[in-house]
Amino acid sequence: MNTNDLIENLVRGLKPVAPLWRPGRRAVAWSVCAAFYLGILVVAMSAVRADADGVGMGFWVSQIAAVVTGLLASRAAFTSVVPGLPKHSRVWAGLAALVWLGTLVASSPWEFDWATVLAASHEWLCVGFIVIGGAPLMLVLAVMLRRGAPVNPGATAAFAALAVGVLANVGACLSLPHANSAITFAWHGGVVLALVSVAALAGRLVFGWNLARSPSIVDGGPRG
Amino acid sequence: MTDGTPPNDSLGELMRAAQQGDGASYRELLRTITPRIRQIIRRQRGFAGIAEVEDLVQDVLLSVHTVRATYDPARPFVPWLLAIVRNRLVDGARRYARISRREIHVDEEEVTFSEPEANDDIGDVEDAAALREAVRALPEGQRQAIELLKLKELSLKEAAEVSGASVGALKVATHRAMATLRRTLGKRRE
Repeated sequence: MNTNDLIENLVRGLKPVAPLWRPGRRAVAWSVCAAFYLGILVVAMSAVRADADGVGMGFWVSQIAAVVTGLLASRAAFTSVVPGLPKHSRVWAGLAALVWLGTLVASSPWEFDWATVLAASHEWLCVGFIVIGGAPLMLVLAVMLRRGAPVNPGATAAFAALAVGVLANVGACLSLPHANSAITFAWHGGVVLALVSVAALAGRLVFGWNLARSPSIVDGGPRG
Repeated sequence: MTDGTPPNDSLGELMRAAQQGDGASYRELLRTITPRIRQIIRRQRGFAGIAEVEDLVQDVLLSVHTVRATYDPARPFVPWLLAIVRNRLVDGARRYARISRREIHVDEEEVTFSEPEANDDIGDVEDAAALREAVRALPEGQRQAIELLKLKELSLKEAAEVSGASVGALKVATHRAMATLRRTLGKRRE
């Protein structure tokens, strides 16, 4: 089809659209929803709450670092679906993730053996909380992100998974508080890293271009 | 500047009006940016033919249309547009590489009925009904390729759009169909 005809068809099919909210505002909106949802989940899980003794300052510092990481990662995800915006929000989110992992390492006693770490079957509950509990958050975030432009699908999906993973991790830690250890680092950090890796690889499948190739646009279609 | 629009960003103003549903502004915007997009694509894809460049231009226009809500009127328009163009160019290159890997290139055969060379071996078929029958007996894909390319004389691109098959698949189907017709009509003559 001729490009001039395409332009005429696009003009004919033009409908008013509201500009998307800015990334920071969208990130705050999603994070507030996530906080409510995780709060409800934590309260619902209080029946299985473990003994909170031994939870020290390091635990709370790592939770704060995780919340900050979640906010920055969601902002980076929302920024990545707006063409032409600078990429520094990704750097901040990446640094925050490193700080979060650093707080886990710094507050953990590092006398352990890998067999004990890997055999910590009680951590499957945390993994379940992060993956299954985080799924609705990921779904909402994906729907919001798909309203943007998929110019960096891998990065979009990776930062979305990081945001969901670390915030769901906070929910898991508040439901089942325990002092930070190599087990927490390996299991919580590992599952978040796995989520981010899978999302980065699958990003193009979820956030591909969905061009408006309806017959009315491409062929002219029925008019009027 | 009180409304947040960057100064001298006339394209941004047109897009802002387009977001509000102003068709005339949208037409002006698209007509203004199309030659610039075409120029960028030609510069980046020096090896691409006219049709391929035009395909990419249309891809960018459709992308701009689809994600026009992501344009923030408070920001300059050109970086927003360039990010989309860059992305569509990368996607186009990726698509091209994928298709090239799948396609089978065959040498151009003299398969046009109007070419004398093509009629050397079947041009002397006295019985037109035999030819029609031979075409009818071809497998579906080969028959469709012959009908579209040789009888209706569509271009490869047009035939690909009509049939849904790729250009490469149509070339292969035509090549095979011509070989089958030669065999069938040759046997009939013997």
